[in-house]
Amino acid sequence: MEIIRVDKLNKSFGDHHVLNDISFTVNKGDVVAIIGSSGSGKSTLLRCLIDLEKADSGDVFMEGKPLIKSGVYPSMQEIREIIMRMGMVFQHFNLFPHLTVRQNLELAPKVVKKEEPLQMNKRCETYLEKVGLLERIDAMPSTLSGGEKQRVAIARALMMNPDILLFDEPTSALDPELTGEVLNVMQSLANEHMTMVVVTHEMNFARKVANKILFMDAGKILEEGTPEDIFNNPREQRTQAFLSTVLREQSKKVKKKYRLKKYL
Amino acid sequence: MSDFLTYLSNITLPMIYGMGIALSIFAVTFVCSIPLGFLFTLMVRSKFKPIKAFADAYIYVMRGTPLLLQLMFVYFGLPLLPFFGQFFIFDRFTAACIAFGMNYAAYFAEIFRGGLLAIDKGQYEAAKVLGLTKFETMTRVVVPQMIRVCLPSITNETITLVKDTSLVTVIGVAEILHYAKTAVNRDGGPFPFFIAAILYLLINFVITMVFKKLEKKYEF
Repeated sequence: MEIIRVDKLNKSFGDHHVLNDISFTVNKGDVVAIIGSSGSGKSTLLRCLIDLEKADSGDVFMEGKPLIKSGVYPSMQEIREIIMRMGMVFQHFNLFPHLTVRQNLELAPKVVKKEEPLQMNKRCETYLEKVGLLERIDAMPSTLSGGEKQRVAIARALMMNPDILLFDEPTSALDPELTGEVLNVMQSLANEHMTMVVVTHEMNFARKVANKILFMDAGKILEEGTPEDIFNNPREQRTQAFLSTVLREQSKKVKKKYRLKKYL
Repeated sequence: MSDFLTYLSNITLPMIYGMGIALSIFAVTFVCSIPLGFLFTLMVRSKFKPIKAFADAYIYVMRGTPLLLQLMFVYFGLPLLPFFGQFFIFDRFTAACIAFGMNYAAYFAEIFRGGLLAIDKGQYEAAKVLGLTKFETMTRVVVPQMIRVCLPSITNETITLVKDTSLVTVIGVAEILHYAKTAVNRDGGPFPFFIAAILYLLINFVITMVFKKLEKKYEF
């Protein structure tokens, strides 16, 4: 089943054409990794999917409903209903610093869905347990480590029961030794067939967890395929050059004990 | 000794009565100017240009002219306006509250604007993707964080407000300073001024404590 369909999406910031005729689909249960060098438009593409950026032209369909059709957006209420079916995890977590972990998780269900407190508390505890942070339920975000904050942010997104989760470089702001705990949680979500779109620089994660890779370069999807296609037999020279640089950098940078195979 | 105590109570009691007046002006101004100030903050951020222009101009005028002048304008000036003057005749206390409320609203508006600037764009984005409306984002996410950022500046402004109440003596409202000056003129000697100073310090002591408590409460 199709969750998201993007067709010929374009977006410019002034003269800079950030997204150039982007088309792809995300099916239920897919884990799509979007890779590419910085400035290639990965994050902008993700942000267009959830209406944090407005695209100029093209279509985005979420479960058949148009978020943007031929460059035209529906009413604010319709947009809101569509993006409520999605969850988003940010690079900088964006937890609400004035609320405890529990309140962070329960704010949206309480305010937006008027969920019944007992059931909501129970779900809150379930999701915190899932990300391994049940004992921090009453902590303030400022007392959490980066990895813990990101895991809380994932739990917060799950509280809205999204059909798809979008991740915008979820580990880029973390110390190398903390990325593992976040990737672990994402891995377990993938195992439960959560549909995810992940913008990432973690090539090992993309290779092992994703079932579909989009390689973006200069606002275009240059290459699209399974991890084997992209990592073992990249067609485009640009892809080869990118992968060899990034993979060399990553194997240098990350100490052996922190590499992905440890938690797979 | 008892002579001195009699003298002390003779000059202090009127000043305490004056303190009541000063505190009333303070309270009315504080309660009115904070919501009004926040309203102006929102107007300055409005995308509708005339509203923004009006709020900008209001803040410019209110901050750019002396409070003393505004006070005199409301009490003495407004009734002298042609045609409309008859609708703007206020008693002294009301005139003082109007001038103070309008002036302080402009300062609070700028303080709140600064507080809003300090809030990360990511907070609005997180609230949006969770499905919160703009209003819910404001009340649940933005304003609570804004209050914490603003509290030290609000404390500052509140203390200034307490001291500024002494200005109302120029339109003949009898507050602390009015009685102190009367006593000094009558008796010769600076003693009543000390008592006035102590009364102001007392008020500000309480205010400082209350705001310290509030800052603790909003700490995160």
